[in-house]
Amino acid sequence: MWKYVKNWIEIRIGLSELIRTHLTGYLVPANLNIFHTLGFVALVGFIVQVITGILLLTYYVPQPDHAFKSVQNIMVNVPYGWLFRLMHVVGSNLIVIAVGGHMLSVFFMNSYKKPRELTWFAGASMLLITLAFCLSGYLLPWSQLSYWATTIVTNLPSALPYLGALAVTCLQGGQNVSGVTLGRFFALHVVVLPLLLLALVSVHLFLVRRIGISSPPFGRAGEKKPWTAFRHEDHPGGTPFFPHFVLKEAYMVMVFFALLFLILTFAPTLFLPEDANMPADPFKTPAHIKPEWYFLAPYQMLKLVPNKFAGVSLQIIMTLVFLFWPFLDTNKEDNLLKRRVLFAGFVAVFIGWVVLTVWGKYS
Amino acid sequence: MSKDQSEIWTKPTVSASTYGNTVASVQNIRAAMQKNCKMTSMRYLLAFCLMLLWATVAAAQTGNEPVCIQCHDADMMKPAFRKIPAEWRQSWHHQNGVSCHDCHGGDPTDAAMAMSPQRGFVGTPKYQGVPEFCGKCHVGILKNYIESGHGKALKASGSGPNCVTCHGAHDIQKANIDIINEQRCSQCHTYERAGIMKQALFATERKIRDIENALKKLSSQGMYTAEEDKTLFRTEAEFRTLFHTVDVSLVKEKTDGFDKQLDGLRKKTDSLFAELESRKSFTGLLTLLFAGAGVVVYLLAKTYR
Repeated sequence: MWKYVKNWIEIRIGLSELIRTHLTGYLVPANLNIFHTLGFVALVGFIVQVITGILLLTYYVPQPDHAFKSVQNIMVNVPYGWLFRLMHVVGSNLIVIAVGGHMLSVFFMNSYKKPRELTWFAGASMLLITLAFCLSGYLLPWSQLSYWATTIVTNLPSALPYLGALAVTCLQGGQNVSGVTLGRFFALHVVVLPLLLLALVSVHLFLVRRIGISSPPFGRAGEKKPWTAFRHEDHPGGTPFFPHFVLKEAYMVMVFFALLFLILTFAPTLFLPEDANMPADPFKTPAHIKPEWYFLAPYQMLKLVPNKFAGVSLQIIMTLVFLFWPFLDTNKEDNLLKRRVLFAGFVAVFIGWVVLTVWGKYS
Repeated sequence: MSKDQSEIWTKPTVSASTYGNTVASVQNIRAAMQKNCKMTSMRYLLAFCLMLLWATVAAAQTGNEPVCIQCHDADMMKPAFRKIPAEWRQSWHHQNGVSCHDCHGGDPTDAAMAMSPQRGFVGTPKYQGVPEFCGKCHVGILKNYIESGHGKALKASGSGPNCVTCHGAHDIQKANIDIINEQRCSQCHTYERAGIMKQALFATERKIRDIENALKKLSSQGMYTAEEDKTLFRTEAEFRTLFHTVDVSLVKEKTDGFDKQLDGLRKKTDSLFAELESRKSFTGLLTLLFAGAGVVVYLLAKTYR
């Protein structure tokens, strides 16, 4: 029976050839490490978000009068609703870590260099989309935390001349965060951003497969051939993508899920402080409202820069530099350890980010 | 009642005179400014900047506090009145958003009209008027108090204990059973009867505190307990009115009813804790499953090397 089914599929889509070309016969560098699996881990994380998101969507009501109650209903009355909501909340934070880690490793291994500039751009855009997902999803529970954190963030563009006020009105749909904002953020979160992400993931995966996985610069023998024309980067002495690398990815996915459920077991409210458990009250500003941990560094930076316009402009410039970095870094050397200035800059920025995050948390 | 307290509660006119002084000061400043009409434009600009700076600093310091606080915090205020803002900031009223105008009336947004009777300013009540003054909000408690021995004594002699005697004026703290104590009660009578009542209330009071702590813990663990919080608040408020009857037999009789309500709440909190425990066990099991799967995959990957 199994043979019959296999033969039936083989005749129609040439399955064995497909497996040979893209899995068992597809060789990747032998020295790929676990940091190379973080992109796949993030992808699995996104799939978990889609599944849990759809389940939440069946009970969530995107209206100010009902949003908070519907989330509480999910947490208390809906069978296993608490599990799906907490997986969604904690999962979103773990995805930020996975995507951030992936970007860091790509930067550290200089894998963004020619001909992979577009792959970097698509990946960097996905990190920004991930943060936009987090921001838009943050408002949906309509809690004190979500309401006031969104008020702070959506008012940031007001520092920009001419377009600032327009941007704030577009984001909030009025003079302040209201039901209109909730509707807009809901549409962004469940329709616009998923479509954008799907498009970017497709482009990113296409580019990775089309150009080939870059080999880490450390311990690589011989000179690399210059990229004067398009070619797929082959790794003749490499290991098969399946099962070798897939098992590595599967191992990291298990670590991701184990970590996710570990947080759910011992610190389920790690990302849900007390204000997240109180319904939004536009007339009562909480004493110390702070953004999520991944926004703490830019938040603290804005507090430190005395001029709001200068602070926002600085952040926009930094984001643009991050997005277009492969086009700005034209140095041929692809071993970061041999580029002392860039390495020092990388370490300084990383330490600066950690310091600002901790400072923002306890300031 | 202490000497300071009686001064605060019986001399409402002092605040009005202070207000008059403030107005006079403002008028003097205005007159002086008119005399100095030859001031150069640079000086005007400097004065404007200083005023702007002062307003910004004042606004930053006061936040959403009523204008009453600005005057009562000022150096020119008499010490007895000046300590009121600090006492109020430490109070249960402050924690629950009850401000000066909620009790004393007036306009908390306009310094000039803050103490105007036209804006409902009623000032400070006379000693005998204190129960009605507080009873505007604490309706149930007022009713029980008036019918109690304390209320009757106040009405008959004009010197019985009123709300302030036990709870204080501006430094009111969340009411609890410890307000009934030998030091306070024996100011007017022996402690024996009060002690018996405190004993009758003790078990119920402890239940209330236990449930309150349990609800706080549940809330910190992500459980939404608004409905239970409301029920506890209602039960506690009704229980508080019972204190004020100062009737031992009535307290003993009604305590059973409160205990039943509290037992219902206790069952609810227990079931929520049990739910949290079962969730923890479930996710713990999933953690072990995925950790185990991770080990298997790792060993499998090793065989391929």
